[in-house]
Amino acid sequence: MIHYLKIWLASVRYSLVRSMMFRGDFIMWSLVELFWMGVNVAAIAVIYQHTDSIAGWSQYEMLLLIGTSMLIQRLLMGLFWSNLFEMGRNIRTGNFDFFLAQPGRPLFMVSTRKIDLDSLLNVTVALAIVLFSVNKLGLAPSAGDIAIYVTFVGCGLISSYAIVLLLASVSFWTIGTKGVEGGYFTIYEFSRLPKQAFSGVANVIFVWILPTVVISNAPARALISGFSFPDTVWMLSATLIWLGLGITVFQAGLRRYSSASS
Amino acid sequence: MRLPIAKYRHVFNVGLQSNIVYRWNFVMRAAFSLIHLAFVFILWSAAYRSETMIGGFSLHQTLTYFITLLVLQFFIGAFSEDYEISEEIRSGLINQFLTKPINYFVYRFTIFVAARLVSGLLALIPLILALPLLGEYLTFPPELWRLAIGLPAAIMSALIQFTIAYIFGMLTFWFLEIQSFVILSMTIETLLGGQIFPLDLLPATIYRISQFLPYYYQMYFPAAIFTGRIDYDSAVQGLGIQAFWVFALLGLANLLWRRGLKEHTAVGG
Repeated sequence: MIHYLKIWLASVRYSLVRSMMFRGDFIMWSLVELFWMGVNVAAIAVIYQHTDSIAGWSQYEMLLLIGTSMLIQRLLMGLFWSNLFEMGRNIRTGNFDFFLAQPGRPLFMVSTRKIDLDSLLNVTVALAIVLFSVNKLGLAPSAGDIAIYVTFVGCGLISSYAIVLLLASVSFWTIGTKGVEGGYFTIYEFSRLPKQAFSGVANVIFVWILPTVVISNAPARALISGFSFPDTVWMLSATLIWLGLGITVFQAGLRRYSSASS
Repeated sequence: MRLPIAKYRHVFNVGLQSNIVYRWNFVMRAAFSLIHLAFVFILWSAAYRSETMIGGFSLHQTLTYFITLLVLQFFIGAFSEDYEISEEIRSGLINQFLTKPINYFVYRFTIFVAARLVSGLLALIPLILALPLLGEYLTFPPELWRLAIGLPAAIMSALIQFTIAYIFGMLTFWFLEIQSFVILSMTIETLLGGQIFPLDLLPATIYRISQFLPYYYQMYFPAAIFTGRIDYDSAVQGLGIQAFWVFALLGLANLLWRRGLKEHTAVGG
């Protein structure tokens, strides 16, 4: 355990040095992410100029939902995204060999090679949106509610990680799956919507099959109306199932991996 | 003497062929756009649950707006022209145009037109397949002037889209990497171009200001004409402002090209 912590800290130090080397880039990319979050917040502000509720959610409840969705996504971007994105590319080029030779389990080495500081910086912005909404809603969550919120956000992060891992692992079987990882963004968009807005086929796909909707809705609900037993069971089992699926596919792919000529 | 247009006809043909190679990419991209459209449908249907009209328009009218936007995007939107131009400058490929009687802007624009023709027509495939689902939501106003003004507006929008991409490409003369500029500007375009919500839902003052910015004319303007979100007078007035932006952006593009070439050191090629 301490061994892995040391490796991770070394990666963090490496990423920190790298970001400071390319300061201009760091500032630009932080701005890019900030702007995208601004776009989503502006969309809500404009729609609520014309209506009082979206599927029963008030403006600040909706903002809390979007803030939570952003929080999970920024954490994913900051900690894992570029690692998994590059994994697909490395499998195709054969550079993946390099990770197998490192002093740790391949999954750990592949997932934690670097962190993106610009995304992590914007975690604070997402957090600010959440706190602002909580304040506007006049909520006073207990320590227990906050603990549930943090746990659920953690579960959301793990499920999202598992889905991207699953998508990136497809590269073990196919060549030229460029952009499959991008499918994550298309799916994740739905996490900015309240569960109650879905019906029919969309409800089956995005609410019941994929964890997309529950990972943002469950934590937001926990802050708004406190502990819910069904949500907790749903969230924990979805996380375990998706993580299991992601790791299984990755391991199966790993066994199949036979390097690539350069 | 051969007309100068003849040489660009060949460029157009090459552009058509090289884009047909990527036919599956375009079909896939359009299919992904349909998933995004599902997001838009769910969001707006939920917003309309407590209101029958938003900004004076029904749910069906609003959804028609977003479907129109999607189609327009594949016919007039700039995709990766900025990166392609940037890459041609960086790699020294533009050197060959400096010694030939070919105008680089016209050359790239011809390829752009060919590419959008291909992507636009291909994007219609998944849309037509989805028509049984989408059809019931489509509701267009009947006035004929909307076509007469909407089509030139759409053509000028294509020019604006391409010229902005071209201008970002030109930045390569001064900057090593243009990706962050492009994405930063894309967020503004997404918002002020009407991709997230129809611009007429903005507070009146902000909406008025947006009408003087180029983003308004990138996509929202033709879409709003076709789907009945603006009246005849605003459409005619808009056409004037749009024409101004076309010329202003063309002027800027030309200026950057001439200045850029002075910076250019023609490495490789």
